Amino acid sequence: MVASLVSLMSIVAFAGPASASGESVGSCVAEKFEESLHHHQGESDHVTSEDIHHVAHDEAVQDELEACLEAPSPILPELTEIIWGGAAFLILLVIMVKKGFPAVKGAMDARSEKIRADLDAAEQAKTDAQAVQSDYEAQLADAKTESARIIEEARVTADQLRTDLSVQAEASIAEMREKAAADVEAQKAQAIADLRAEVSGIALGAAERVVQSSLDADAQARLIDAYIDEVTGSNG
Amino acid sequence: MNVLALDFPPITHLFEWPDILFNGTWYAVNKTSLIYMAAVVITAAIFLSAGRKKTSLVPVGVQHVAEAGVNFIEESVVMETIGPEGKKYMPFLTTMFFFILFSNIFEVIPGIQFPANSRMAVPITLALVVWLIYNFVGIRSQGLVGYFKNSLFPPGVPKALYLIVTPIELVSTFVVRPFSLAIRLWANMVAGHLLLVTFAILTAALWDATYVGAVAPFAMLILMTGFEILVSVLQAFIFTILTAVYIGGSLHPAH
Repeated sequence: MVASLVSLMSIVAFAGPASASGESVGSCVAEKFEESLHHHQGESDHVTSEDIHHVAHDEAVQDELEACLEAPSPILPELTEIIWGGAAFLILLVIMVKKGFPAVKGAMDARSEKIRADLDAAEQAKTDAQAVQSDYEAQLADAKTESARIIEEARVTADQLRTDLSVQAEASIAEMREKAAADVEAQKAQAIADLRAEVSGIALGAAERVVQSSLDADAQARLIDAYIDEVTGSNG
Repeated sequence: MNVLALDFPPITHLFEWPDILFNGTWYAVNKTSLIYMAAVVITAAIFLSAGRKKTSLVPVGVQHVAEAGVNFIEESVVMETIGPEGKKYMPFLTTMFFFILFSNIFEVIPGIQFPANSRMAVPITLALVVWLIYNFVGIRSQGLVGYFKNSLFPPGVPKALYLIVTPIELVSTFVVRPFSLAIRLWANMVAGHLLLVTFAILTAALWDATYVGAVAPFAMLILMTGFEILVSVLQAFIFTILTAVYIGGSLHPAH
């Protein structure tokens, strides 16, 4: 950049104004006329009006002066400018081909490549994230199904258990009730038997003492049983 | 020169510059040569500076200029005219575009105000280089006979018409083309420079005479300065895209 500024400043500093370029028509005419006058007067130091008149009317001199009005064709290229312009372009071309262009294009390509790679990586990351999301969603759906299944299973098990327990409890109760009834019945029978034995023992003893008879034991027992039956029949 | 009571400088005074260095030699340097050197320095500085910067996601500073230029040449010139195989000509076309652009743009740079391409030297040199390149490319890709046959006898044209078409193609492709390329650039820059000088002289003369009268030509001067910036870019683009079209034509003969 500094080089660019220096080159710009050098153009401004060294190049004169446009009017300084070449000679003007007036100076050209004056110069040619002076040359012709000197040529005409030869060795003489003084210029006479005759000399001026002669030179002014000389056709050859007039042709020379007319040439001053003919500007050089602006379309014809100047050799020095071709040399400098051509050399400048050639030098720039070498610099650009060897260094400038590859450096800039390389940086652009590297950037494009980086952006492409980043986009690819982002795309890959997005795909991965989507896959993970799908995975999680599937897992979540599985978990929901599983939890529903477990809950249903537990519910069924609980129902079953409740039913079983209820049936079992009812059976136990019935069994216990039956057992209790049987026990009551057995105890009742036992109590009756015991009472009967007791009463018969007591009655036998009493009868023995009262009657003092020689009844054998079997006859006594029959009498007692008959007595008891009578008693129970009258009580019942 | 006195035109409509205005002191208009002779045409040579607007375009011919005195030698600054090596006066009178074949390697004499004048203002035009200095502008060409400046175009080299500026273009090289932009590209070398842009190329040295670290590649960032967003280009900064001169990288914008260089990359926009390269992108423009690639998308709007090469891909539009030659196609992907034209990419190998991109360094040449990019160099040409920037060299012409900076040589032109000095037309509106204060203190310099001269388009170097309003001198015929570089336009004709570049046009001849282009002529050599597209003919070389044509001969290399189609063979000597094939290239001239396709150029002079375009396929699909009724045979009787070759009597007319072939001489026209011969003159237009091999003779006129480089000159039309050079003259288009040169004449546009000459015309632009003359326009700016005319309005500048009008403004100065009317300012001296009436003050108020200078307003209109001064407004035109500003307008034309903007227009000439456009012309400078446009002419660089036209020269470059025509070069690409000629190379493309040599690579792909008309079907």
